[in-house]
Amino acid sequence: MKISVITFLLAILPSLLLAQTTISGTVMDNKGMPVFGANVYLEGAYDGSTTEANGNFSFETTETGTQVLIISYVSFEPFKFVEDVTKMKNLKITLREDVNSLETVTISAGSFSAGDNSRISVLKPLDIVTTASALGDFVGALQTLPGTTTVAEDGRLFVRGGDAGETQIFIDGIRVFTPYSPTTNNVPTRGRYSPFLFDGITFSTGGYSAEYGQALSSVLLLNTIDESTQEKTDIAIMSVGAGLGHTEKWEKNSLSVNASYINLAPYIALLPDRNDWQKPFETASGEAVFRQKIGDGLLKVYGAFDTSDFELTQDDINQPDGTRFMLNNQNFYTNASYSEMLNKGWTIFGGGSYTYGKTKVGIDDANIKDVENSAHFKLKLKKRFSNRFKMNFGAEQFVTDFNENYDDPNVDANLGFNNNISAAFTEADIIFSRKLALKLGVRGEYSELFSEFTISPRISFAYKTGKSSQLSLAYGDFFQQPESEVLKFTNSLEAQHTQHYIMNYQYSANNRIFRAEIYRKQYTNLVTYNDEFPDVNTTFLNNGDGYAQGLDLFWRDNNSIKNVDYWVSYSYLDTERKYRNYPIKAMPNFANTHNLSVVAKYWINDWKSQIGFSYQYGSGRTYTDLNEPGFLQKKTKGYNSLSLNWAYLISQQKILYASINNVFAFKNVNGYQYANTADANGNFARRELLPAADQFFFVGLFWTISDDGKDNQLDNL
Amino acid sequence: MQNVVTYLMIFFTALIMQGQTDSAVNAAAEPTKYQQGMRKAFQLWQENKSWEAANVFERIAAAEPDNWLPPYYVAQINVINSFTEKDGTKLKAQLDKAQNFINDATAISKDNPDLLVLQAQLYTAWIVFDGQQYGMTYSPKASELYGKALGLAPNNPRIILAKAEWDMGGAKYFGQSIEPYCKDIQRAIELFATFKPAGEFYPTYGEERAKQIQAESCK
Repeated sequence: MKISVITFLLAILPSLLLAQTTISGTVMDNKGMPVFGANVYLEGAYDGSTTEANGNFSFETTETGTQVLIISYVSFEPFKFVEDVTKMKNLKITLREDVNSLETVTISAGSFSAGDNSRISVLKPLDIVTTASALGDFVGALQTLPGTTTVAEDGRLFVRGGDAGETQIFIDGIRVFTPYSPTTNNVPTRGRYSPFLFDGITFSTGGYSAEYGQALSSVLLLNTIDESTQEKTDIAIMSVGAGLGHTEKWEKNSLSVNASYINLAPYIALLPDRNDWQKPFETASGEAVFRQKIGDGLLKVYGAFDTSDFELTQDDINQPDGTRFMLNNQNFYTNASYSEMLNKGWTIFGGGSYTYGKTKVGIDDANIKDVENSAHFKLKLKKRFSNRFKMNFGAEQFVTDFNENYDDPNVDANLGFNNNISAAFTEADIIFSRKLALKLGVRGEYSELFSEFTISPRISFAYKTGKSSQLSLAYGDFFQQPESEVLKFTNSLEAQHTQHYIMNYQYSANNRIFRAEIYRKQYTNLVTYNDEFPDVNTTFLNNGDGYAQGLDLFWRDNNSIKNVDYWVSYSYLDTERKYRNYPIKAMPNFANTHNLSVVAKYWINDWKSQIGFSYQYGSGRTYTDLNEPGFLQKKTKGYNSLSLNWAYLISQQKILYASINNVFAFKNVNGYQYANTADANGNFARRELLPAADQFFFVGLFWTISDDGKDNQLDNL
Repeated sequence: MQNVVTYLMIFFTALIMQGQTDSAVNAAAEPTKYQQGMRKAFQLWQENKSWEAANVFERIAAAEPDNWLPPYYVAQINVINSFTEKDGTKLKAQLDKAQNFINDATAISKDNPDLLVLQAQLYTAWIVFDGQQYGMTYSPKASELYGKALGLAPNNPRIILAKAEWDMGGAKYFGQSIEPYCKDIQRAIELFATFKPAGEFYPTYGEERAKQIQAESCK
């Protein structure tokens, strides 16, 4: 009571001495509806008011002359009005919606986001590591998304009828040249990089930004963590090896190192598989991330080294004793990037990567030694003109030097090539309103090897159809050089080419997401050749072509069933192509018509456990039956696998984790190998191509030691 | 996982402003515009008109570019109101606004334990909203902020309380002893008895909350 009397007196007193001006008006939103609760005030003065339910405001001020009137309200852009106070009467003010809001349309055609940064995340960071079938491999988790084909024996990403080489992987915007660990033909590979180094993942199955090139079908963008959270040590003891990680943090910089050793010898001794291993798979790897803040800039340096070694004998229908296969690989990758916010809305980003890969492969009597040195440099400038208009400009250079030595009792050959590609791109992001957004880009590339210049326009567009739904369209042209298997024999070719047409519908509300996407992808200029196995005498041409079209559906629901989070993906794919040595257009053997994934996670609070379930179905893949006329004319039976996992929190810092892949031991056949020669009856004998093992078991204990005793490795699983 | 984190966080209750206006009427001298404005804001807040109070704090913040308290309170009101907000769009707008004001306040007053705790509370609001999505990233960040704040102000009862309450949530879930945190809370209560805010309108909340936790959890 006392306060208000004093306040009243104090408020009245100066008014007796000074002239007062009344400022008044109405605040509306862009639909003409009154805004209730907006803050209206003169900048730098204390005078102001809050709008009423009808949007009206009125207050008195002793300020005179030209002043700045500010109107601010959550989820609208602040409004500034400069005028003489005496003219600030009966103002009609319309606020502009803030397009940074969650309600703003986002361009979703073709891409899936995972992580905190995206507005609508299809996958959350933890999903990468708690999906039952993924075994901690980020690529494995992405294979539960629509648009991917289950090629169980391979393990790489096959997107919308494209082969694995059509997907490129980038870390912090910089290309990774050798993303997968090498393996043998019936054991799936894994991504080389540990998922817990990344906090944002964008997986695009088509129509992606002009910033990315040299990918016909898809890009996978991984962003490393900007800032480590705390000092800690991670220890992992697993049935297949061990891992050790440590993070050290200082005022302006931090360093994380991680080492792991995997040896499958004990596992294979206990549970022999279909391969006859002379030297079971063994790999040692180390990774480090260093981050340094420099003023307003951030420098990140990432390095990874790994070495793998194994030797085995595999069944072969043409060789009664089987085929010997040995592999020894060393891979080093480093990536450094620097980004800084400059003045006036400019941001600069510069980065580079260098890859050194050395592989020795022995197949029966032949020894093949490959050495690849590759580098990528990129410089990008971003200008933010306003929340509604942004532009990107950039230039980049790819350098690859590849050498191969092939040695068998009859031949000793040296092959190799240098492939340099220069590229420049620019892209504009325009947000017209919360309902309508457009991205326009163009990319030019020059290949020194082919003396060829290509230009790729990209455009995408999004329109909000309702409060929680939107429609996106995308179109783009994409070029990619042929792979090193071809370039080592010839350089008189052109880039291969695709065009993507995508239409996407997305509904997202209350922790439920539904996406439907139809697409058409047109392939031209695919490389063809006339021999069964290409060599220096082979004729290579760019006269292959093909198409892929289909429908992808995705549904995720985290809301309807208590403690259960699940998603379902379905893809329908229709594709044919003529490439390599295909005599006719056919569906390639890495594609199939139907793919279904169901992933569910159930949290049992009383047990402090999360149980995960994952089911994958892929309809049959094509193979050529030599006993009947035709090419890739038959299909295998469908692929089925159901996997389970269990994570138990022993304490805040100790987690016990177990998983079984293919619980019901479905016998999956990936294809058939036919004999080179027919038997006495004119029949070609055949052999089933089976996975090395039908099932896989994994047990691990993950233990984190940190000062505050809180952090754990849930994110590493 | 979502539930682990939610569980950890559920013990955390938004800390309500209290007792600010007690010291308001002792100024014999004529109050400055700043004092008038701040008093008016606290009065509105006490009358449960928190958004109007936030508007007043925002106006003061615009007029007092060198004082971290007005932006601190704008952010605090937005954070507290976010704990009960179920609409993701509104939540993001409020927390973005809070974050902007925390950034403003931090630019004025670096290494301020009250701002660090408020930042940790902002992260907690995200975690409470969607633990599965935000828990993994923000939970260790919040832990670190509490640790840093306590390092800067080891004898500030409000900081001791905030960290103890956060840690207690985790310990309870895993069935571990909460004894050490009860000791911290007892210590906070003792320190509250003699706590003097650094100046007029500085944060003073926490004593009631400490006693409440002690009564509920540390018998």
